[in-house]
Amino acid sequence: MAATNCVWGDIEPLLPLVERPSRYIGGEWVAGACEGERCAGVERETDEGAACTVDREARGQDGFSFCMIYPDTYELGQPNQALRILVNVVNAAGGMHAERAFLPAVDMIGLMRERGIPLFSLESFRPVRDFDVVGITMPHELAATNVLEVLDLAGIPLRAQDRAQEDPIVVGGGPCALNPEPYAPFFDAITIGEGEEATPELLRCIREARRRGASRDEILLAMAKVPGTYVPSLYDPVPEDEAQKEGRWVKPSAEGVPEVVFKRVFEGFAESDAWEPMTVPYMEIVHDRLNVEILRGCARGCRFCQAGMMYRPVRERSADDIVSAVRRGIEQTGYEEVSLTSLSSTDHSQIREILTRLNAEFADSGVRVSIPSQRLDSFGVDMATLVAGRKKGGLTFAPEAGTQRLRDVINKNVTKDDLMAAAHDAMEAGWRRMKLYFMIGLPTETDEDLVGIAEMANEAYEEMKASTPADQRGSLRLGISVNVFVPKSQTPFQWDGQISPDEAARRVAVIRQNLRYRAITLSYHAPKTSLVEAVMSRGGREVADVVEAAWRNGARFDAWTELFDEQAWAAAFNETGVDAQAIAETSYDSSHAMPWAHISCGADEGFLARERELAYQGVTTEDCTFGDCSLCGVCPSLRVANVLQDVRGVR
Amino acid sequence: MEDRQFRLRVTYGKTGRLAMLSHLEVTHALERIVRRSGLPFALSCGFSPHTKMAFGSALPVGIGGACEIFDLTLDDYVAPAKALEALRKSAPVDMMPVAAEYVEPSAKAASVANPFSMYEARFDSPVAGFEYPPQVEVVRKKKAKTLEVSDYLVGEPVLDGCVMRFQLQSKDTGSLRPDVFVKSMRLSCADGDGSLGPDPVPDGPAVRSITRTAQSPTRL
Repeated sequence: MAATNCVWGDIEPLLPLVERPSRYIGGEWVAGACEGERCAGVERETDEGAACTVDREARGQDGFSFCMIYPDTYELGQPNQALRILVNVVNAAGGMHAERAFLPAVDMIGLMRERGIPLFSLESFRPVRDFDVVGITMPHELAATNVLEVLDLAGIPLRAQDRAQEDPIVVGGGPCALNPEPYAPFFDAITIGEGEEATPELLRCIREARRRGASRDEILLAMAKVPGTYVPSLYDPVPEDEAQKEGRWVKPSAEGVPEVVFKRVFEGFAESDAWEPMTVPYMEIVHDRLNVEILRGCARGCRFCQAGMMYRPVRERSADDIVSAVRRGIEQTGYEEVSLTSLSSTDHSQIREILTRLNAEFADSGVRVSIPSQRLDSFGVDMATLVAGRKKGGLTFAPEAGTQRLRDVINKNVTKDDLMAAAHDAMEAGWRRMKLYFMIGLPTETDEDLVGIAEMANEAYEEMKASTPADQRGSLRLGISVNVFVPKSQTPFQWDGQISPDEAARRVAVIRQNLRYRAITLSYHAPKTSLVEAVMSRGGREVADVVEAAWRNGARFDAWTELFDEQAWAAAFNETGVDAQAIAETSYDSSHAMPWAHISCGADEGFLARERELAYQGVTTEDCTFGDCSLCGVCPSLRVANVLQDVRGVR
Repeated sequence: MEDRQFRLRVTYGKTGRLAMLSHLEVTHALERIVRRSGLPFALSCGFSPHTKMAFGSALPVGIGGACEIFDLTLDDYVAPAKALEALRKSAPVDMMPVAAEYVEPSAKAASVANPFSMYEARFDSPVAGFEYPPQVEVVRKKKAKTLEVSDYLVGEPVLDGCVMRFQLQSKDTGSLRPDVFVKSMRLSCADGDGSLGPDPVPDGPAVRSITRTAQSPTRL
């Protein structure tokens, strides 16, 4: 690592010139850190002297350093759970240390470029390029150009092949790693799955290789042998006919490199402490509250859902662990709200016990407990009521589709009766606002299903009215949020194409025409970005050239509606000759090898194809944490198992 | 629990890089310091109970303070020194409480307790002279407003090398921001010919930092 080269002196004079300078100052309170490390990057004398357990030696100039980056601004990146977890595990690993960095906002980037100031970390304000390893999470499909903005602003060559021996090793990860191909040339390596164990292992591997003076190529080869690591440069693309014959679009070019990279699973999750150090920001961020992850994974098996495949198996932490973690987290962060996070928190087998104990614990302390989403039935409302207190905002449910037929196709095991019961119970309990999420463009969708969305909304509103005293009906609001289906890799619907932007507009209009009440508002995601999302989701390695061209044309912050530059992307598709519509909209037979076939989240392709077939027949599959094993293959292939604290479904 | 509540006035610094925080960010950070301290803080009644705190007059983004104040209502008496210690343990170095004392329930609100503020502006080079306009144009809530400097400035700014000290008084009708006041000035360099440059001065002294060094109910 290069000698310490703090850029704070260059940053400070820019702060009065930019919006929201608190994005760039670091120095936040780190709850749960040892005494001497209480503020991010700020040394503080401890009363007890050397009571600190952090390996201070590692922080010296010879230490091995890791910079974890979220490719968007501070207020969006700081709440990211992966960032928190990975910084913590690396700092706890010994002999290495982690810092954070975020992409500055457009005004700050402009000033930094003007003055030649590189992207910096928030703890030591060192240039990101001075770190040994740089980790960039890929949180969603619209962050790709920001990954390039991060690399360029850091002064790191965009493509792995152009990096020199002294450049950092750039590692990617996160949800988009399940189809890494559109990002492949930009990363030296990509971690598939959970990073709790994989990241420290990978860093140790790099550190040891660096210490023995290994070349960059040798380091990459060593990394490829760490389970769960995909090193794109060690895989050669093959022509399409060969790909279809072999079942994979790339093949290893070196010995000992796996043909298929399986995701990593943190098996110790259920037994691990649910409280871990957390940075308490000064700036108001999204999800500005204590987060306690109460369970990981969801086996409900919605056939469009990538997270469901990514985080299997289901692992619950115990009620004792969770209650203790919340208590310590609240004490040490000073937050007045805690969110019990997971993909489906109300599915936790002990959720009623957890919420009841937390209510008793925090009675009269002004601490609010929240759960991120509600299960669509009476039980969901029951649980929401337990934590709502006197202030009742809105309740959000996701029926996803408007008819029972289509809900069976997507395996969303809820009925209209569930929704009506939920609406009834919610109004009885005092809520006045509800929001319903739907998708359009799901496989097999017809206009009947669209009318069904409107009908469901109409009936839900009628139920809300019927369950609310007459003098309060004026405050009833029902929001309908419609998103265009984006086919995701590693799901049963990975072979199904997306509808065109024009068709999406038509389908939204069908819903709108059939809504009968003014108290129902309809909002929908602009289909312009949906096309780019689908291309990033389903494309192969050729899409990387599109990403680079789009970025060179000025695309960045694609997820910011006001900054999305459709022209930059359109020009990029033109220049590279890549057919966006074909990638996004083509449906394939289930035997077709997709560009991510060399990446596996443990479910075998037979399972995905079978689920797709059942979808088309309208046959549902049970959640294995409530009923029988669905034979997805994750447990045997990764040698893992569901960990439940109690029997699910007992109320 | 006793019905009585206790009003603790805490003095703290807004220093270093935390000078870049907005008033809202400062208040959030102070609430979290209080919650972490474990003191018996009182909660407001209502649908969303929150810690009963009141904050001193706001400092703009970028302006530091050596003696900022907030009032904290406690449900139980804690000796001021003990309360201060608890707050210090849960505070970041750049937002460190330095004093705590109880004030009467009838005392003026923290936000209006100290209308007189002494500021210290530091420049990157020595300042030989200055001139400020009689009026300053400001934009408040998208409306242009003209402030008479003499309504707010108390006495005359005093120069001391790279440092300028000046006192501003806030009025019920409003206040003049220290950074706006400094920006309105024409400055001359110490090593030049002493003449005042055009506005803005291209290579004149540039302001490095502005800090509120004292605040008081009466003229300082």
